[in-house]
Amino acid sequence: MAEAAATSARRSGGAAPALPAWAGTALRLIVSIAVTLFGLMALTFLIGRLLPLDPVAAILGDNATQEAYEAMRAQLGLDQPLWIQFARYVGDVLRLDFGTALTTGKPVLEDVARVFPATIELATMGILIGTGLGIPLGVFAAAYRDTPLDYFVRVFGLLGYSTPNFWLGLMGLVLFYANLGWVGGPGRIDTAYQWDVEPVTDLLLLDTAMAGQWEIFWNVLSHIILPASILGFGALAYISRMTRSFMLEQLAQEYVIAARVKGLSWMRTVWVHAFRNVVVQVITVVALAYAFLLEGAVLTETVFAWPGFGRYLTNALLAGDMNAVVACTLLVGVIFVGLNLLADLLYRLLDPRTH
Amino acid sequence: MTEHHPGPAIRRSWRRLALALLAGTGLTAMAEGARAATPGNAMVMAWNIDAISTFDPAQIGEVVTSELLQNTCDSLVAFDPKDESKLVPALAERWEVSPDKQQITFHLRDSLAFPSGAKATAQDLAWSMARVVKLGFGNSATLTEYGFTKDTVEQRITAPDERTLVMKLDKPYPVNLVLQAVAANRVATLLDRQTVMKHEVNGDLGNKYLATHTECVGPYHLRQWNAGESVVLEANPKYWGPAPKLKRIIIRHVAEAGTQRLLLEKGDVDVARDLTPEDMQAIEKMPGITLSRTLKPQIVYWGFNNANPIFAKEKVRLAMRYLIDYEGLGKTVMAYNGVPRASFAQLGAFGALDEKEGQPFKLDLEKAKQLLTEAGLPDGFEATMIFGTLPYAAPIAQHIQQNAAKIGVRIKLEQMANAQLFARHRGREFETAMLAWQTSVPDAHGNASRQIYNPDNRAEAKLTQYPSWRHSFQDEKANKMVQAALLEQDEDKRAEMYHELQRDMMQRGPTAIMFQSIMLAGVRNTLKNWTWNGFAAYYDLASKE
Repeated sequence: MAEAAATSARRSGGAAPALPAWAGTALRLIVSIAVTLFGLMALTFLIGRLLPLDPVAAILGDNATQEAYEAMRAQLGLDQPLWIQFARYVGDVLRLDFGTALTTGKPVLEDVARVFPATIELATMGILIGTGLGIPLGVFAAAYRDTPLDYFVRVFGLLGYSTPNFWLGLMGLVLFYANLGWVGGPGRIDTAYQWDVEPVTDLLLLDTAMAGQWEIFWNVLSHIILPASILGFGALAYISRMTRSFMLEQLAQEYVIAARVKGLSWMRTVWVHAFRNVVVQVITVVALAYAFLLEGAVLTETVFAWPGFGRYLTNALLAGDMNAVVACTLLVGVIFVGLNLLADLLYRLLDPRTH
Repeated sequence: MTEHHPGPAIRRSWRRLALALLAGTGLTAMAEGARAATPGNAMVMAWNIDAISTFDPAQIGEVVTSELLQNTCDSLVAFDPKDESKLVPALAERWEVSPDKQQITFHLRDSLAFPSGAKATAQDLAWSMARVVKLGFGNSATLTEYGFTKDTVEQRITAPDERTLVMKLDKPYPVNLVLQAVAANRVATLLDRQTVMKHEVNGDLGNKYLATHTECVGPYHLRQWNAGESVVLEANPKYWGPAPKLKRIIIRHVAEAGTQRLLLEKGDVDVARDLTPEDMQAIEKMPGITLSRTLKPQIVYWGFNNANPIFAKEKVRLAMRYLIDYEGLGKTVMAYNGVPRASFAQLGAFGALDEKEGQPFKLDLEKAKQLLTEAGLPDGFEATMIFGTLPYAAPIAQHIQQNAAKIGVRIKLEQMANAQLFARHRGREFETAMLAWQTSVPDAHGNASRQIYNPDNRAEAKLTQYPSWRHSFQDEKANKMVQAALLEQDEDKRAEMYHELQRDMMQRGPTAIMFQSIMLAGVRNTLKNWTWNGFAAYYDLASKE
């Protein structure tokens, strides 16, 4: 028995002490994130090199001589074997050097830092609208299942799923901007105010509020409200449908009947007891919806002339600007991994069963 | 079974009232915030400016940046705003030509200064021009074509003093052509050598720095460029000429045409540059907005790869021209995009055939069939047409495909991204291709030298800057005519030589030229004197009430 115990001790580590459980989890997490990002990097790099796009022609134009063409190709390192190009690229990325964007002539990191705040602002407003309306609608639809309210929420959600943002954006502009004049036009701010905002965070609502420039704040709000509502509509559709489905499952549980038998009101049962049990799942859904919005809504950004991340990525892709494409794809990967991680952490925090 | 107890979630009326008030206040405030008009001292333009990647005059090649540079960087001479075929003094107030026509001496204005206030000299200009050749981007061809190579440019373009610039040509080219092609071009812009060289990185002659700056003598200078967002130009207080009437030019990047139209209708922009034909049709009837149009020195053509034995036959190429309904397409698909044109020399260029003679074709399937029979292909053949994403490309391609099918020619259509189309065209990897090509001079030589002339047709020559090479087209007679016309000193004779070349090439040339593009812009009537032609838009002439 004693011998068996000694053997077991040797097997479980011997000289090296065993890692605590939290450290093992953290290590697994880090390795999994690193492998995900490396895989993403390799995939996007390969796609970039295999696509029939010509970055040299993008720089030199259609009129360049073959001599100039070959020289630029060598300058960009495109004449090297693929594995050398990839190794160099990985080295650069580890130094946070994503190279220069062909389409803007600026470092990719600088470009991303410039366009991302516009998307963060729009996506955050969108998710606030989507969550603020989506969760109550989902809960009410479940609480009043098969009533006109439920049908309304379901049809409304279906519309959010199926109506193209592009069309909604244009119709919204025609109605609320061109005809009613309730909201500002395309762009983040009126031309007249463009130079009056001192950029601190580049989130215009925040910057103007911090500076007490309320007139400009309202102008910025008038510009963001329509595209954010349209993005929020899509998020609302997803969040309300998922919330409804989670809630239906909970409302069928016996503890709900027990709560009602104890004399609790229906609303209290729904919100205080049943909803509490779906909060964790809803957070995951909201995090995913937010990640999708942060990725950049290309069509919404195009219609609203919104200088955001989605449009930057699309333009880079169309122009064969692979430095920008790979960097943006990595960023999207990081956003998804980061938000998933955040959802996981919140899950642990909010769900007592995981303690 | 779940029990339901419907009941109002929020009963208290004060809450409803508060919410209503909040919503009302918000909407009112936003509606206040939403009021906008363009500033009185600025021109605001909506334009798709995605293509901007640099402001270096040695490197830029596309329409948007060319136009911006014309307004920030003066050249030695300029195209007359009223007539693009005429030249007017710009940086040079006058010039002289030597009797042997191989030397042009430019006398610069005395008052030239950069926006920083530093004096601009002829030495700066000679350096700027040599820089274009040394960097070797596409624009260097503009100078190398006239004998200024990396080895010779510093000897051939010199500045004996601060106000004199001498250009020595290797051949007696027509002076007007040299002035149009070189002196009025972005390769003859005057850069602030000191500032640019201060920012040189790894011997790039300031190329990286100029990607985001303009250091020139011009009516405006670049104040701000946020890629994919906006460009702001500001009037140059040190400008030698009349001060621009509008202090700022704000170009907002708006990619979606429908959005541009809404902005224009609401008065949030003064000019919209990328409207669709449907938008233009509607805008033409709107009060307060004018549709401004001008011919562009760009031809839209269907090119044939002459390396393919079928298209090596002149009669096959000619037959293809009779498959195009120039008139019908001109009135429908191309109504707001171009005018029918079959000749390589664009309307408005020196030596161009007039409108009627420059487009003698019409849809004639019988004639096409007869030509194919004469070419030994009575049963037709199969071929592929590649084309890009320009809005009119697909309808024209389908139109040709349908007509071709009627005479047994089976055309397979292949649409692709423009970048891919250019790569395939440059690499001769196509049977037929539909593209557009723009020349930089209002002279028939501009397109003759690229679309017709081909100095070396061998694959290894890789003369990719010549569409004639891309089409594997080399014709000794045509080559000689292009060269002879270039060096002809008698203007009338020179024009006649181009006329003859155009007539010949419309029958035998490597491409079926279909249209000459037009440019259109929606302009609000509050903006006065919007002035443009095929080669420049003159922001400094625009004004507001």
